[in-house]
Amino acid sequence: MTDQKIIELINSSLIEEFELETEKMTPEATIYEDLGLDSLDIVDMVVVLENAFRFKIREEDGIRDIRTLGDIHRFVIGKKQSLEKKGD
Amino acid sequence: MTYDTVVVGGGVSGLTSALILARHGRRVAVVEKAAKPASLIGGFERGGIYFDSAFHYAGGLGNGDILDLFFHYLGIDRLLRKVPLDQNKFDIFRDSASGWEFSFPCGIAALQEALCEAVPHEARGIQSYFVCLAAAFRQLPYLNPGTPEVTWNPVEAVHGPSLAEVLRRFIRDPRLGHLLSLHTLLHGVSPQEIPFSIHAGVVLPFYRSPCRIAGGGRALAAAFSAQIQAAGISLIQGRSAEKLVLSASGHLQGLKLADGESLACRECVVSIHPRRFLALAPQGALRPAYRNRLMGLEDTSSGYILFLHGLAPPPILAGSNLYLGFSGQGMAEALSSLERRPLFVAGGAFHADSAQTGHGWSVICPASWLEMEGEWASAGFPRSDSYRAAKEEVSGRIFQRLAHEAPEIVQGARLIEAATPLTLRNHCGGPRGGIYGVRQAVGQYNPQPATRIPNVYLCGQATAAPGVLGAMVSAFLTCGHILGDDRLRREIMA
Repeated sequence: MTDQKIIELINSSLIEEFELETEKMTPEATIYEDLGLDSLDIVDMVVVLENAFRFKIREEDGIRDIRTLGDIHRFVIGKKQSLEKKGD
Repeated sequence: MTYDTVVVGGGVSGLTSALILARHGRRVAVVEKAAKPASLIGGFERGGIYFDSAFHYAGGLGNGDILDLFFHYLGIDRLLRKVPLDQNKFDIFRDSASGWEFSFPCGIAALQEALCEAVPHEARGIQSYFVCLAAAFRQLPYLNPGTPEVTWNPVEAVHGPSLAEVLRRFIRDPRLGHLLSLHTLLHGVSPQEIPFSIHAGVVLPFYRSPCRIAGGGRALAAAFSAQIQAAGISLIQGRSAEKLVLSASGHLQGLKLADGESLACRECVVSIHPRRFLALAPQGALRPAYRNRLMGLEDTSSGYILFLHGLAPPPILAGSNLYLGFSGQGMAEALSSLERRPLFVAGGAFHADSAQTGHGWSVICPASWLEMEGEWASAGFPRSDSYRAAKEEVSGRIFQRLAHEAPEIVQGARLIEAATPLTLRNHCGGPRGGIYGVRQAVGQYNPQPATRIPNVYLCGQATAAPGVLGAMVSAFLTCGHILGDDRLRREIMA
């Protein structure tokens, strides 16, 4: 899966699952202020990403440091890369 | 009249929540669809014989232990008589193949000693395992109200380790691993999937001080009913909740019942299977992400239950329960065939007034919902001939196993009734017949008390842990979220 495909899948999943507006989905968009999610939504977001990409996210992966949509993109791309490396 | 709180679901967690909130001055109503509160733990009668169906024994009920403190806090302790199980053998494991037995004595030190005696070459591993078990237990919310609370992060349980992982660290002998996994039947999740911390929260109180209650689950249900009445809580029974009523701005206004009546309220504690909560929430109140998450939650294992009757209870069950199984056998193998599954024989609520009618006891065999899926699951009553034939066949096979592996359990006994995963679905409120509803499992994110709808909270085994103790912890967690955890903890210890 290319990085672009990963980003598209992240955006489309979040738009559908959190009923977000497409035009707000810029990499700079902050999760809390711009996208309007809150702490209650974070576990839901973890589950959405786990289901979309078929991996498990753990606390030590740094999910709590995520601030922007771009952070999510980088997080998932990094996670997939490290899993692929492990699979080699 | 406007209620401060309406509790949906009159099971142990709902009734506990109602009592806690009423104690804090709230005007509370409980809506329960069954004809009486705590109907599941209240058991049932067939031909004048009482059977426990969901409550058999409890851990942590010894004087001053955690469940005892909860009962005292709720005021139900003085309405109940505890019956401690046999100090030397509250549970007996018997190997179905060899007949080898291990008796679980009450108390952590005694149990460790007995395990070391049975498997001497594992003494160090046993000691390390129990240190780990105690440490995991200390992290759990409300189970250690006397010590300063550690910050409980429910996500930690989701990330494991599992019981199997911890056992691998310390234990090599499969027979010992099997003994330490035996009580997974008390939460309905395999050693590979149960978070070790949740397992610790369930088994440690059983190891410490297991008790029965005189009169069984029926007495416990009656004690709850009496306290609900004494606390001035409105009990709306035999009626179903249909929808939460929200204002245009999304604030809670009340609860609409299926018969059309509405109850005005400021706060709602939803103490039912989380999947059923989705049906209560108005369209658009919950986002798809949350809905899908709750829909994806998996339940604990289901089961077949045989209800047996005899004029005298089997002596082995007088102060003990009996676990049958194949030592060292893996979980996958255990679930593959009915003949290889573990069986739990629960001594009933034997009481003196049963001298005339005889006594009832039950045998529980874990099962998967998949065994019921298909035409049986979607059909209503009366049940089809094929379902009844299958139920009879399964009961017969389990009965045969008992006759062979534990003849004293069925000697002079008659099979009065049987339950299948389908029965459990209809009575337990779980869509897939899970004995304990939604399971706690590594990798599964269970819901927390707070929901997206302001002043609407979830409660129940799914949010904390299984069993009577788990259901009560869930009520303290949810009410602690509303009233303040420190305050509740202080009150429990007072």
